[in-house]
Amino acid sequence: MRLVIDERRCKGCNLCTMVCPYRIFKPGTKPNARGIVVPELDRPERCANCRLQALYGRTLCGMCQMICPDQAIRWEEEKPGEATKVAIEF
Amino acid sequence: MTYADWLREDRLPHIYCAGCGNGTVINCTLNALDRMGWKKEETIFVSGIGCSSRAPGYIVTDSLHTTHGRALAFATGIKMANPALHVVVFTGDGDLAAIGGNHFIHACRRNIDLTVVCMNNQIYGMTGGQGSPTTPRGALSTTTPYGSQEPAFDLCELASAAGANFVSRWTSYHVKELTRAVHTGFETPGFSFIEALVQCPTNYGRRNKFRNVMDQIEYFKTHGILLQKVKRLREEGKPIPDDAIVLGDFVQRNRAAMGVRR
Amino acid sequence: MQGNTACAEGALAAGCRFFGGYPITPSTEVAEHMAAKLPKTGGVFIQMEDEIAGIAAVIGASWTGMRAMTATSGPGFSLMMENIGFAVMTETPCVLVNIQRGGPSTGQPTMSAQGDMFQCRFGSHGDYSIIALSPSSVQEMYELTIKSFDLADRFRVPVFLMADEIIGHMRERIEIPPSVPRVERKPLARGVLPFHPDEDLVPGFPQFGMGYGVHVTGLTHDERGYPCTTSPSLHEELVKRLVAKIESARHEIADYRVTNPDAEVVFITYGSPARSVEQVIHDNPSDRVGHLRFRVVWPFPEKTLWEFPNARVFLVPEQNLGQMAREIERHTSVPVISLPKLGGALHTPEELKRAMEAWR
Ligand SMILES: Cc1ncc(C[n+]2csc(CCOP(=O)(O)OP(=O)(O)O)c2C)c(N)n1
Ligand code: SF4
Ligand code: SF4
Ligand code: SF4
Ligand SMILES: [Mg+2]
Repeated sequence: MRLVIDERRCKGCNLCTMVCPYRIFKPGTKPNARGIVVPELDRPERCANCRLQALYGRTLCGMCQMICPDQAIRWEEEKPGEATKVAIEF
Repeated sequence: MTYADWLREDRLPHIYCAGCGNGTVINCTLNALDRMGWKKEETIFVSGIGCSSRAPGYIVTDSLHTTHGRALAFATGIKMANPALHVVVFTGDGDLAAIGGNHFIHACRRNIDLTVVCMNNQIYGMTGGQGSPTTPRGALSTTTPYGSQEPAFDLCELASAAGANFVSRWTSYHVKELTRAVHTGFETPGFSFIEALVQCPTNYGRRNKFRNVMDQIEYFKTHGILLQKVKRLREEGKPIPDDAIVLGDFVQRNRAAMGVRR
Repeated sequence: MQGNTACAEGALAAGCRFFGGYPITPSTEVAEHMAAKLPKTGGVFIQMEDEIAGIAAVIGASWTGMRAMTATSGPGFSLMMENIGFAVMTETPCVLVNIQRGGPSTGQPTMSAQGDMFQCRFGSHGDYSIIALSPSSVQEMYELTIKSFDLADRFRVPVFLMADEIIGHMRERIEIPPSVPRVERKPLARGVLPFHPDEDLVPGFPQFGMGYGVHVTGLTHDERGYPCTTSPSLHEELVKRLVAKIESARHEIADYRVTNPDAEVVFITYGSPARSVEQVIHDNPSDRVGHLRFRVVWPFPEKTLWEFPNARVFLVPEQNLGQMAREIERHTSVPVISLPKLGGALHTPEELKRAMEAWR
């Protein structure tokens, strides 16, 4: 699974940057086409959901998604054949 | 299913300002709802007027967006007429405690089987930041330009005294706890009241030394204090900070209730 | 049977299964009778914390598909105004009974009046139309209450039974039919937008709990029911439809009684003053006194005035300072003379006869 921020919904409040235990969300630097500074993702493959959501069949952790006031965070199926980076942390 | 299945995707993004805590409360409520396994067609959202009260418009179930302060009275009619429906109310601090204060205490007294989620931003958000019954003493608003002189309501104490079966307070920072509290509210027969303190960066934060959204979330995080701890401090005769936000379940009981599904 | 009891019996016969209200003289007997009877029919009676909550609960109950009503008088009626506008905007069928008493303010709680005839028509903010009926006997308290429910469901609008204290507290024998036919609420067809009107300008009703997933709001909304508050044309279209669905059906809704259509001197009444006029007609059969009696007052059916082609004057006795006389005046070139009477007493036949004399 792949962590994505829906740029059509994100309003750039940066609340997601406060709650991720892996600090995956970093405040963005440049405004997008809608003039909103969307956070950037730092190695999102570290998120437990990217690795294990499909296996467990439910959302793990999920703090970023819960606090995001604009329902902008979700996990997408990777397209078949898409190269995936797997990060395992101990 | 996930909480996202309960959203009216065609209406998003919603009208809330960037960083408004109301969106977070919607997430928590829908997550709790999803866990209940209720059907969409047997769940009804009701609200009054205010930013907070716009929430039902973003949810796929039947919903009634009513008049300022009166959501609980409308919800009472729905629930009494058809107790098989699960009725959830979104309201704001002004909606619930000012203009709707009388309906609030009477809905608690009747202990009618509703789950009420109050998004308390301590301000009138929609009308541009006037003082509300929960604006803290000293806080600035457009109608308290020298700092509010009025003591504020404690909504949870009010609901407890008036007879609600379940009463709990969390904030938009405490998403897991808030979700659990709403879930408990859904499960509890009778009146369940969940107060969610939320940031209103536009009309409260800005005027009250929270430069950005994160500052107020940080404040919720650092000033939140569990009810159990407050009780312990009290027993030990130790002081409780004035600006503490008391969090937790205030009441969980089984008083006779109305409108419970038979 | 007492008028207020007949009203409650009519509601029960019409299938009303929800009453939400707050006690107020001279309407309380309606609530008391419903409190006694509803639980036995599987219905719900709830005494709310005030009239604002009473009408709110009724509107909520109506969305679950129930026939629902409230009953009140002047001060409570004033409190209901905001939510009446909500019922209009959301097209919620409901029945409001107003047993009118003397106002303004607390006024004369136990005395009759007809002072709220404009308030029921125009009392909430914004432009709109509603339906109002006025009974002038205990039998009509029964019949017109039933009719109110049918009209409310047919047009998806609040319907007002504008009685007065005299009719509410009067006792008369009435005939109760063995069965009462009922106009059902037209359900929303699947696949149709919830606020998309049919040809009669009334949309089908998307009852809560049936899986329609409808959003109902008092904000200006599009046919999906979604708020849309910035489009001038959408607002204009919506408000005009809400008015037109009632006004364009006014002659279909019209319900009135005509006596001596060839008369030159014609009384126009609704509610208890009709009874004094009937006395005058009864006592003076050779005078050919005309009488137009409205059972439906709003929407105003102006064509009914044409029933009296020879009319030289319309005399309008009312227990107010000439509210409906004013409306009648707008629709005719025949002189309209208001015969106001305040304080609670009925017009006496002598008073009415004296008013007639000047027009012989
Ligand atoms: C009868 C009435 N009075 C006043 C208003 C104006 N009004 C709209 S929202 C609001 C305050 C809402 O405050 P709150 O309930 O705290 O909601 P928030 O916007 O803060 O979420 C007011 C006073 C109204 N709509 N209706
Ligand atoms: S789910 Fe948890 S770990 Fe994954 S990105 Fe969100 S906050 Fe970080
Ligand atoms: S919390 Fe949501 S809206 Fe806010 S910056 Fe993060 S993704 Fe965007
Ligand atoms: S005004 Fe305040 S409460 Fe309303 S949407 Fe904006 S931030 Fe939220
Ligand atoms: Mg508020």
